[in-house]
Amino acid sequence: MLCERCQKRDAKLLYTEIINGIKKEQHLCEECATNYTSFQMEKPFLNSEFSLGDLFSTLFENHLATGSKNPVNNIPKIECKSCGTTYGEFLQKGKFGCAACYRSFHSQLGKTLKGIQGAEVHTGKRPKGFVTTTDRILQDLSETEKLSLKLQEAIEKEEFEEAARLRDLIKELKKEEIGNA
Amino acid sequence: MLKWYEQNVPDSDVVISSRIRLARNLESYPFSVKLQEDQAVKLVNEVKNLTPLLSEKDSRTYYACNISTLSDIDKSAMVERHIVSPLLASKEQTTGLILSDDETISIMINEEDHVRIQAIVGGLNLEQAYELADKVDDIAYEQLNFAYDEKYGYLTECPTNAGTGMRASCMMFLPALSSARLIQKLIEEVGKYGMTIRGIYGEGSKSLGSMYQISNQKTLGNSENEIIANLKRIVAQVVKQERKRREYMLSLNADELQDQVYRTYGILKYARQITSDDAMKFLSQLKFGVDCELIKFDREFNIHKLMMGVQPGSLQWALGKNVGSTTRDQARAEYIRKELPTII
Repeated sequence: MLCERCQKRDAKLLYTEIINGIKKEQHLCEECATNYTSFQMEKPFLNSEFSLGDLFSTLFENHLATGSKNPVNNIPKIECKSCGTTYGEFLQKGKFGCAACYRSFHSQLGKTLKGIQGAEVHTGKRPKGFVTTTDRILQDLSETEKLSLKLQEAIEKEEFEEAARLRDLIKELKKEEIGNA
Repeated sequence: MLKWYEQNVPDSDVVISSRIRLARNLESYPFSVKLQEDQAVKLVNEVKNLTPLLSEKDSRTYYACNISTLSDIDKSAMVERHIVSPLLASKEQTTGLILSDDETISIMINEEDHVRIQAIVGGLNLEQAYELADKVDDIAYEQLNFAYDEKYGYLTECPTNAGTGMRASCMMFLPALSSARLIQKLIEEVGKYGMTIRGIYGEGSKSLGSMYQISNQKTLGNSENEIIANLKRIVAQVVKQERKRREYMLSLNADELQDQVYRTYGILKYARQITSDDAMKFLSQLKFGVDCELIKFDREFNIHKLMMGVQPGSLQWALGKNVGSTTRDQARAEYIRKELPTII
């Protein structure tokens, strides 16, 4: 049966309208139903012109292009232990399967991220109370080692008065340490 | 409490709103592509449990609901008001939302990422929007274990969001630049600085009523404050260009423009039925007239609120039912008639 409205496409649904007690039935195609009734056949708003998958397949192809005669073998066979996503799958979809994927694909990720983001190291916000490896190392340093780091920083910044003060402080501390020993 | 679109803010002649979105994921669930329905239900409930803590630690009151069980009208209305994204509204898996009473803060649950915190304020005010989103992020972190890596920052499903997980954007009203067909040039121009211009409902959506969204493209490598400062600089440039162009248009033919604005008002005031595309077109022309002081009204009124109100979802939501397009066009015309102020 043809759509009663456009008379061109196949009617796919029966639209019943009751206005002021008068019932009207129409056989409509999807397009006319979307345009002339409150029906939304397609998912509203999602008419994306391109998807990120496209962007990634480009990266994927680049990966293939730079490879040898047998390019598919060139993609490292890494699999995330936590969710089972493979690196090839990630390149194709452009999506990680879980947080652990970042660690699983660590060896390859720098290149990929640099390609997309132009950088591979985060410099922004850190959650409150998050202890980084650097923090941990710093915590384990002795008082004189911490001061030496500060001294270095002061010299780099050309703050020579502060540097001199720190140098003297380190000398004092070292003397004490020797004395205590 | 006044909603963000009801407040009077500086620069609103060109910048309608500023928005910050933070993408976060929980360490204990797989990302969206691998998430099963039973895990989605658990995830939504776990995040929804934040609501009391948020209400306690912030001056706003927060409400939570499931999105997937709402009617299509409710969902469309929420998308049109920028409370939820088109993606969240169309997802079939269990999804959720936490919303503040003033609609400034919304937290989408199980969108592309597990948690998406969004703060939206009127005018050009990215710093304030970030401050709000940052605070909510801190409160949420007290209760939820967000996936974070010291090298890669916040871990997101898509590597295009990793690092800060932040998308900062400004909704811009650019009638003069678009009528001069300068948008394409602008897209190329801002692209050079790592920014993108899109339609008002985000990726892939078309532009309505000369409204565009400018946002940062990269999320890794720069800090949140740097990203915001960069975007702000670009937006300020666009504002300057748009204003210059408006002045130029006015200097060329102010009388003709004024005539157009009055005619537009006539259509909006007397039309008996009007489609949403037409309504957006005419409301945007009217906004241009008000901003350029070509037309004056007996009272202040908020065109942007009207622009959201005339969208199909919001309109049917106000009517409380699903109606056909003709009825909708009639209801839209009536709504505009009622809201329009009188010319002085």
